Amino acid sequence: MKLMKLEIVTPKGVIYDGEAKQVTLPGSEGEFGVLPEHATLVSLLTTGIVTIEMPDSSKIDVAINSGYVKVDESKVSCIVDGAVALSAGDTDISKKLEEARDLLKSAETSSTAIAAAVSKVEQIGKSF
Amino acid sequence: MANLKDIQRKIKSVKNTQKTTHAMKLVSSAKLKRTEELARRSRVYAGKLTEMIDEIALKIQNLGADASDNIYFKDNNHPKKVDIIFISADKGLCGGFNAQTIKRVNKLMEGFKDDEVKVRLNGVGRKGIDYFRFNNVEMLREVIGLSSAPDYPKAAEFITEIVEAYVNGETDRIIMVHNGYVNMISQEVREDQILPIDVSTEHRNTESRSELEIEPDDDSTLLVALTKRYIEYSMYYALLDSLAAEHAARMQAMDAATTNAKEMVKTLSVQYNKARQEAITTELIEIISGVESMK
Repeated sequence: MKLMKLEIVTPKGVIYDGEAKQVTLPGSEGEFGVLPEHATLVSLLTTGIVTIEMPDSSKIDVAINSGYVKVDESKVSCIVDGAVALSAGDTDISKKLEEARDLLKSAETSSTAIAAAVSKVEQIGKSF
Repeated sequence: MANLKDIQRKIKSVKNTQKTTHAMKLVSSAKLKRTEELARRSRVYAGKLTEMIDEIALKIQNLGADASDNIYFKDNNHPKKVDIIFISADKGLCGGFNAQTIKRVNKLMEGFKDDEVKVRLNGVGRKGIDYFRFNNVEMLREVIGLSSAPDYPKAAEFITEIVEAYVNGETDRIIMVHNGYVNMISQEVREDQILPIDVSTEHRNTESRSELEIEPDDDSTLLVALTKRYIEYSMYYALLDSLAAEHAARMQAMDAATTNAKEMVKTLSVQYNKARQEAITTELIEIISGVESMK
């Protein structure tokens, strides 16, 4: 299985920097998944959840408000305004979920997009 | 010979100054730590943003003539009107920090003057603004308080006005001058061209082989949004960088001042001791000669 590099950067620091098997991104034209060897692409990102599939097949969800992504064959770089990572191993997961909800609610996009993203967060919260 | 009281007073005053400068140094070093951390984090983000915009710009350039019409990238080799933004500190007592920036701005302005280019000045920070006001240089915009407390919305508002003038065709180029942080003991004056975005020099790792796809398709939406973000963030980052440099410069200046004060106390103490000894000797001679005359 091929892997690709993934970076998620916010003004407050690096959220994720490492390898990934697959990543699903909330593009402004709709959600899309990226596998290694993807064609070069630049897209706007809207409020939603970035799902990262790690090399060991575990998953990390990152709530974002808005940003950009650049994809090329070996690398995915996400530049976002604000992000909160939610992974199963976190000890303070409830606090993180709260943060994620606040982040999404403060985003300046359509209310339906926010509602969809928030309900996703709720689901993720239940799965822990 | 200065009298004893005078010297004593002087020593006391120098010691007080020393205390102040030492305290200022400590304050600056604490602030520096915080600002440096902030700047370090934003540097990664700013770097990525630049990388992305470079790549897009390069792709656009490769596409050919119609795309290079894009106002953000169109290079104008003979600008007629230039906006200069400079960032200085709101406060002094930081060595040559403000003077360096001002000097660079002056040099730039002279250069443009020789080429008969009109220059408009946009100042951030009290010290620089005061300098140009004193020298009767006209300023277009003045912002005080932003450089000592960088704030993203305010920075964005400030730069957006200037960018609007550029987009409307009022100006042909935007240049920013600020003092940047290198490390604890050195700063460096940076001069960046904000608009048009300079791509020809910076294309680096374009490993990708495939055609660039842009989403949403009407590539102006993404490009406009991304460029806006890039410019705003450049401004914000410059402010952070400048603030970190300011604290570092102040720390250094105050450290030097403390050392100088220490030296001064030392010399003054020697002077005081000498004067005291001299007074005692004179007194002794007076007593002895008095006794002698009594015999």
